[in-house]
Amino acid sequence: MLSTDLRIAVRNLARHTRRNLFLAAAVAGVTALLVLLAGLTVGMRESMLQSASTLMTGHVNIAGFYKITSGTAAPVVSDWEKAWEVAKPLVPELVYAAPRGRGWAKAVSETGSMDLVLAGVEIAREPGFREVVQVLEGRLDDLARPNCILLFEDQAKRLGVRAGDAITLSAPTTRGMNNTADVQVVAVARSIGLLSAFNAFVSAETLNQLYRLKATTTGAVQLYLRDAAASAAVAARLRGALQQAGYRVMDPDPQPYWQKLMLKVNSEDWTGQKLDITTWEDEMSFLSWIVTAVSWLGGILVTVLMVIVAVGIVNTLAIAIRERTREIGTLRAIGMQRVQVLRLTLLEAFLLGLGGAAAGVAVGAVVAAAVNAARIELPESLQYFLLQQNLHLTVRPGQALLFVAFVAALTTLAAIWPALHAARLRPITAMHHVG
Amino acid sequence: MRRLLLALALALAAVAGLLPARARTLTPAETDRVVRTVDERQRNAGDWKALAYMEAKEKDKTDVVYELVVYRRDKDQRVMFLFLEPRSEQGKGYLRIDKNLWFYDPSVGRWERRTERERIGGTDTRRGDLDESRLAEEYVATWKGDERLGAFQVHRIALEANPGVDVAFPRLELWVDQATGNVLKRQEFALSGRLMRTSYYPKWKKVWSESKKADVWYAEEMRFYDEIEKANQTMVIIKSIDLRPLDPNLFTKAWLESKSR
Repeated sequence: MLSTDLRIAVRNLARHTRRNLFLAAAVAGVTALLVLLAGLTVGMRESMLQSASTLMTGHVNIAGFYKITSGTAAPVVSDWEKAWEVAKPLVPELVYAAPRGRGWAKAVSETGSMDLVLAGVEIAREPGFREVVQVLEGRLDDLARPNCILLFEDQAKRLGVRAGDAITLSAPTTRGMNNTADVQVVAVARSIGLLSAFNAFVSAETLNQLYRLKATTTGAVQLYLRDAAASAAVAARLRGALQQAGYRVMDPDPQPYWQKLMLKVNSEDWTGQKLDITTWEDEMSFLSWIVTAVSWLGGILVTVLMVIVAVGIVNTLAIAIRERTREIGTLRAIGMQRVQVLRLTLLEAFLLGLGGAAAGVAVGAVVAAAVNAARIELPESLQYFLLQQNLHLTVRPGQALLFVAFVAALTTLAAIWPALHAARLRPITAMHHVG
Repeated sequence: MRRLLLALALALAAVAGLLPARARTLTPAETDRVVRTVDERQRNAGDWKALAYMEAKEKDKTDVVYELVVYRRDKDQRVMFLFLEPRSEQGKGYLRIDKNLWFYDPSVGRWERRTERERIGGTDTRRGDLDESRLAEEYVATWKGDERLGAFQVHRIALEANPGVDVAFPRLELWVDQATGNVLKRQEFALSGRLMRTSYYPKWKKVWSESKKADVWYAEEMRFYDEIEKANQTMVIIKSIDLRPLDPNLFTKAWLESKSR
């Protein structure tokens, strides 16, 4: 029976080609927009993960704070290799791990100055670093040498320096004494959005010298996993294991380390070492509002469009049913039940929605692929907020299928009222209808 | 012949008189005494209240002028700064209790613990610049020579921080006026040995202290020059000093908070 209904529904849709094509195009347009907006949000999230996990955080971090006095905290892990020995066997998902020094300094050149968040890297231990950081000037390998720094192009522009020039880094040590380091700019890399605006890289040795830290001290051991989605589970596992091994471990708190340092740790009354196991999402939580804001804006836009399309569907189907009143009357007269009329009308709407949504997903995917291929460079102000340098849209098949199902269901729901109206028609009245 | 010898002797004596006397080396004890005198002249046994103006110039930024009140109770090393001007800074303040420096921002109503070496209001001024001088306690002094600084004959003294003492600069150099014992110039160096800040103290004033039963000297004008960012400088002027006892409950968070309501 369903196949008969299906045949009739398809035939009915085909009979009113122009009207149905118009309606299907509207559905397709909204679905394509939905796909592109979702693609932008997912793309931003992916870019954020990629750039953040290069510049600021691992997927999971064994980090912490050391307090000399209750009022003087430093974002360091002393004897990090011991903590890592405990954690290492518990992370089968691990691709690689690397220590990263964490610091802050004022960079001063002949012509300018700016505050920089410094990361002390051991470049040979970070294969992922080369995949993300594109060097425009100088050599990345030179970052392994002491007293060398990698800047991003916007920073280099602001400081008025190029590869080969020298700048001075000035920072207080963990005990609050002032110290300086004269460093040479060995590489200038392409900027990668907001995060590269304030992050710069020096060798771990340089950072330790600036802060007068031992070689066995680092800021965090950054763990890179095969799947970033496993971060929270791995972090929970490590938290428990390190606590069992006798380490004092801080409670989970989804904030970046610098926020904890400024607002929380310095106000707490304890001294010594505490470990803090964080995920990349914790460390990037200060930026998640951007992704949330874009998602909300996209959601509002799509909702408004969906309401307009739903009203269009109701209207179009109401007109269609009015035009087909005599036909419905005839069908009812030859024995078609009210339920069958209702089902047939809903089926038509469903098929229309399904076809339109499928076409919309296809269009959205093609547009996304074209945008990615074109490598459209975003204006600088947008780069900061979209966390991307080139506009990148990510269309996930599972998500696209979900959109098709959602739009088809919505179209079907919108057809309920006209369908009920059609089902309620009396055969004799319908057959006498002059349309 | 006798006349000739006498003339020669007189000429030699005259030349010798014209030559500057060879600088006498200060012994470690004498050097230490000079530094202790610097501290002692500025020490006040009781309370201290000063109205200060702070003008900060930074490269590519608008000049900022702050007006603040400095409260000190030196016997238990308490210090409080309360900002009065500009309007955006009104009610902000620093409070030092038990070697902890707290910063209060009334716009967020929150206290933050800061390092004692904090730059006050983001300028080149530090807590130590407005606090009691404790050079003899915090540093070991070495005499480097006597020289002229403009019109003044000065002792040049190098200071190295005592081990375990937390100070902003591990090494200092002082130019101390031999006539008055006032510091006229000071240079501060980073751990790396790089010169970070040069300060000048061109005007000194004294005020009678009932609690000390002696004069207390203070630098009426202080000029700080950033030697890393050459264009940055801060000038502090002490407009007035009041050494009468302060409210016993003044050095509390509640008191500072009440000032911003």
